[in-house]
Amino acid sequence: MSEQITEKDHTINENYRQKPKVAVYVCHCGGNISDIIDVKKVAEELSKYPNVAISREYAFMCSSTGQDYIVEDIRNNGINRVVIAACSPALHELTFRGALSRAGLNPYLYEHVNIREQASWVHKNDKEGATLKAISLTKAGVEKILRQDPLNSIRVEAVRGVAIIGGGIAGMRSALSCADNGLDVSIMEKSGSLGGNLNRKGKVYPSGKEAFEIANELSKKVLSNPKIKVYLNSEISFIGGYVGNFQLNVKKSDGKFEKVKAGAIIMATGFSHYKPQKGEYGFGLADRVVTLPEFENLLENSGEKALEISGKKVSSVAFMHCVGSRQIDGIDAPGKNGKVNEYCSRICCGSIISSANRLKEKFPEISVFDIYTDMRTYGMEHEKYYKKASENDIIFFRRPLEERPKVEIGVEKVNIKTKDVLTMNEEMEIEADLLVLGTGMEPNDISDLVEYLKLPRSSDGFLQEVHPKLRPVEVANNGIFLAGTAQGPMDIKETLQAANTASVKAAALLSSPDIPLDPFVAVVDEDKCTGCGLCPKECSYEGALIMIEKDVKGKKKKVASVNPALCKGCGACAAVCEPRAINVAGWTLDQFDAMVEAIAKE
Amino acid sequence: MPEKKPKILIITTNHSSYPGANAVGQARLSYDSNTYIIRVPDPVMFPENFYMKAFEKGISGIIIMSSGSDCPYEGAYDRLSKRIQNVYKLMKEKNININRLKLTTICTVCREAFLKEIADMEKAVSV
Repeated sequence: MSEQITEKDHTINENYRQKPKVAVYVCHCGGNISDIIDVKKVAEELSKYPNVAISREYAFMCSSTGQDYIVEDIRNNGINRVVIAACSPALHELTFRGALSRAGLNPYLYEHVNIREQASWVHKNDKEGATLKAISLTKAGVEKILRQDPLNSIRVEAVRGVAIIGGGIAGMRSALSCADNGLDVSIMEKSGSLGGNLNRKGKVYPSGKEAFEIANELSKKVLSNPKIKVYLNSEISFIGGYVGNFQLNVKKSDGKFEKVKAGAIIMATGFSHYKPQKGEYGFGLADRVVTLPEFENLLENSGEKALEISGKKVSSVAFMHCVGSRQIDGIDAPGKNGKVNEYCSRICCGSIISSANRLKEKFPEISVFDIYTDMRTYGMEHEKYYKKASENDIIFFRRPLEERPKVEIGVEKVNIKTKDVLTMNEEMEIEADLLVLGTGMEPNDISDLVEYLKLPRSSDGFLQEVHPKLRPVEVANNGIFLAGTAQGPMDIKETLQAANTASVKAAALLSSPDIPLDPFVAVVDEDKCTGCGLCPKECSYEGALIMIEKDVKGKKKKVASVNPALCKGCGACAAVCEPRAINVAGWTLDQFDAMVEAIAKE
Repeated sequence: MPEKKPKILIITTNHSSYPGANAVGQARLSYDSNTYIIRVPDPVMFPENFYMKAFEKGISGIIIMSSGSDCPYEGAYDRLSKRIQNVYKLMKEKNININRLKLTTICTVCREAFLKEIADMEKAVSV
């Protein structure tokens, strides 16, 4: 695969060459900004600023009406540069670049000023200060865009293949969807089989199907699909590259290494069940305290006559919710990462109720107790499980969130003491033969992959998408998508939906033979370049910046030359160039000087 | 008119501290409005005189929130920290308190550290 660079010329009309006519748009963000910042005042102040021809404020600039303003002002009012003061550019930079393109203006002749995350949301007690700040920042945005050249995105040939890390249900579903979309797929799975957490006995809700049957069904399809290559018992020793051209070093089961190339990566690295610490609700102190997955196994393997634990018949079972979830710092012991799991694992309430119902249906004579915090059977029709549990005479206790039930291991029984919110905080004592801990989900340890790819993680340790509504399953790194519980607790249905979403996004990205990369790489003004040779010494990337001899306006001259495929756009070269002949496109020092001037001025 | 406060310029990176500043907003935490965030691919691009000119123009304090060990650019952090040492020398020559320039590292979720750096700089520029 070559890193061939072609350039697409965005410049449909050349009105940027004319006298600058800047349009400024100040977004209310439906009150998110305008409740704090006086957006009318910002727009009014900007309307008086040099080179600003139009200054408007509007409720939602990202809406189609908001975007239409931009398009019309460019088409009908001769606007050739745009500044939008709104949310973070992470959310809508692409949206607005699209609006400029539709209007026939180079999409990079637009500057996004963040007055939401970095102004209205952080200065809610200082409306006047926030407004003045928004005015200064927007003026700085105008100064920047006045000095902006139209840029053309670099297009790089992309590999029409996807690497999927993790061969659980999310990875398999993603693989099948990607293959259906014509992509070559490689699945890297660290264990010896596909299926992940579904490789077990036990039924899953809501279908009531056997977990391993679902895994088998999918893995048969995956293994027989000619477009999918599966690497079992594999390890990833390194990942490098960038969107369109990732390279993964895969250590295969035979110990040999293989280089896998991919245009996109789907992270389907899944979850692990929370393992309680020794002594946590009696876990590890007696075989009468088990986790929910262990209980599922026990129930599946029990005969029809009785449920037994270590050869003894079980006549009462207590289930405890929120074990390893919704933990509170200072109350619960931190895990290996030094943190408590503050999040709700979401699926445990449904799983516990589903298991308790199956227990009751198989052995109606067993007494079942359920100690919960808040009942969160949140899925479609999952409420039915809760109703069913009441009909099955399961007895519920609701414990306060901040208090932990006390568990004592008796000779034959487990004794649980808890406050019960349902009976006005009465102290309750429950004796059971078996205590089942409803353990939550934790992200698998993928610190190596996180390090190689510099992936963003939430404070919970799961991988973090850019925005749940605007850019679901995408991470900040281009070309990497999230499938399933790598991103946070999900049930099987949600996992499959996320996996399909990730696949469709990967397929859309790789639908054309080349993909656009940001044009923010170093550029040399050959007229200004003195050929001093200082800048290549600052560059860390082999071959990205070299000195060459070439004809400049009829004269042979030594000048700096950039390979845009290898340049990463850090700007280390720019700092040492006295005449400012080398700059990162879109981020020039002249632009920053002017911005600082605008900020300092008022 | 409210009292004119000294202005603090905060240089953030696209990769790390700019999203970090967003995370502070998303958590609805607050800090003073005399803070002006600009974003760059990497602050390594600024020559020494960029900072000196900013002080001359009337900026009272500058916090450089780099990506530190998370920096996606090879060697950039080392180059940046050496350059900042040079800036400190220039600041001393011009009798500018070196506490008015701070090189620090802020990650995408470093909310508390972000606020602390601002609080420290507010103190430095108030003297």
